[in-house]
Amino acid sequence: MRVKYVLSEVLVGLWRNVTMTIAMIITLAVSLFMLGGSGLLYQKVGDMKDLYYENIQVSIFLKTDVNEQQRTDLDAKLKSDPLVKEVVYVNKDEAYKRFQEMYQDAPDLVSAVKPDQLPESFRLKLVNPEQYKSIYDQYKDTEGVDEIVDQSKLLDKVFGVLTGIQTFALAIAIVMAVAALLLVANTIQVAAYSKRREVAVMKLVGASNWFIQAPFVLEAVVAGLIGSILGLIALITLKTFAAGGSMATLEGLITPISWSEILLMFPLMAGVGGLVSAVTAWVTLRFYLRV
Amino acid sequence: MTKTYPKASRPSLDNVSVSIEKGEFVFFIGPSGSGKSTIIKMLLHEVSPNKGRVVVNGKDVTSMRSWKRPHFRRSIGCVFQDFRLLPNRTAYENVAFALEVIGKTKAVARRVVPEVLELVGLGGKEHRYPHELSGGEQQRVAVARAFVNRPLILLADEPTGNLDPDTSIEIMRLLDRINRTGTTVVMVTHDSNIVNQMRRRVVEIESGRIVRDQARGVYG
Repeated sequence: MRVKYVLSEVLVGLWRNVTMTIAMIITLAVSLFMLGGSGLLYQKVGDMKDLYYENIQVSIFLKTDVNEQQRTDLDAKLKSDPLVKEVVYVNKDEAYKRFQEMYQDAPDLVSAVKPDQLPESFRLKLVNPEQYKSIYDQYKDTEGVDEIVDQSKLLDKVFGVLTGIQTFALAIAIVMAVAALLLVANTIQVAAYSKRREVAVMKLVGASNWFIQAPFVLEAVVAGLIGSILGLIALITLKTFAAGGSMATLEGLITPISWSEILLMFPLMAGVGGLVSAVTAWVTLRFYLRV
Repeated sequence: MTKTYPKASRPSLDNVSVSIEKGEFVFFIGPSGSGKSTIIKMLLHEVSPNKGRVVVNGKDVTSMRSWKRPHFRRSIGCVFQDFRLLPNRTAYENVAFALEVIGKTKAVARRVVPEVLELVGLGGKEHRYPHELSGGEQQRVAVARAFVNRPLILLADEPTGNLDPDTSIEIMRLLDRINRTGTTVVMVTHDSNIVNQMRRRVVEIESGRIVRDQARGVYG
């Protein structure tokens, strides 16, 4: 009977103040959508870093007038360097072949360049791609070295943009969460006010505190859960529409977001939404009902 | 015990000591603001004394943790001047509500509630709403609600304050009947008529001090 009583009170409470309930649910939904989005982005950036750093190379270009001795010295040094995982030597002919492949759409350019003009290079894979700086410091003054190029520098810019978007989404999520919490507090106060007579009688006859508070707290939790479901639907909608459009062009750059990754965000959103609403409602009641 | 409210210039109760035996019927009388209601609030553990102790039913209420308060309240029934009934519930439902929120089943309520409504003289009016009942009848519902859980103590804070003299006497008869079941009744009032008729113990308070404690007293 008591469970039934509490549950029916929850529904009555949500319905009594339905405009406020809707406002509360929408703000919670937007906040949780932003939270879920930023969570996804965080995961993506992590995934992409793994993926790209796996294939990333540091290229050491040699001077055109490099001699045999300098080259073999450098080769030996690189092969024994603990920071380096793999060394590939690219000679002029091979460099030319790569150049041809890369610019096959521009035959004029290809025909203008002779294999002799292209520098020889060592292509390195590092044990830890983030240690590029120490490789650079170590080899930049070595004889015969012309230039050291790190591909990860370019990627860092991309990651920087993505992290920026993520921070932005997180900031909006927090601002919306504050608004949502104020709405939760307000809704609970209104609900408690409209039930003040019942609450006074319950306190008088010695109903336990949890029994008095449970309907209100659950009201907030239900709103939080509905908000998180709406937030999830928003994420799914975003994927459905964006996958066909603008995201498709980025397909090569950003690894696609799978359905399971979106669904995995739901426990986070529901957990945060439910818990935060519950705590807010409980704290509000402590002040408002003094129970 | 002594109770001083914050911002008050003098204590609401100043070094008051009173002991009430089980099964007694006690009136607390005195002018408004004399500190009578503070005593009720202390017995309910709504406020705590600054100095001294409040012992109810052998338990020191002063040191009781607030989470134990709900359970403690179940041993005390309360009746007020303004009835405090739920307007959207019938007489039966008002009494049953008090039982259900402390975890009693509907079956228990079905057995006990008609019994107690009969006891307070409301048999046949179970399904009336408060606005369909007279003031005296509403107070009877309140008494039924306070008594349905068979409390050890019944606190009545000016229960006849809103009632005409005849109705007041009926309510007093009811409280007297409840007292005879062994329930201690503590009543705060300034209705001299009633005090004079009942001839029970009277404790008079003035400006936070006990000025009289008389076994079979009058208002005087």
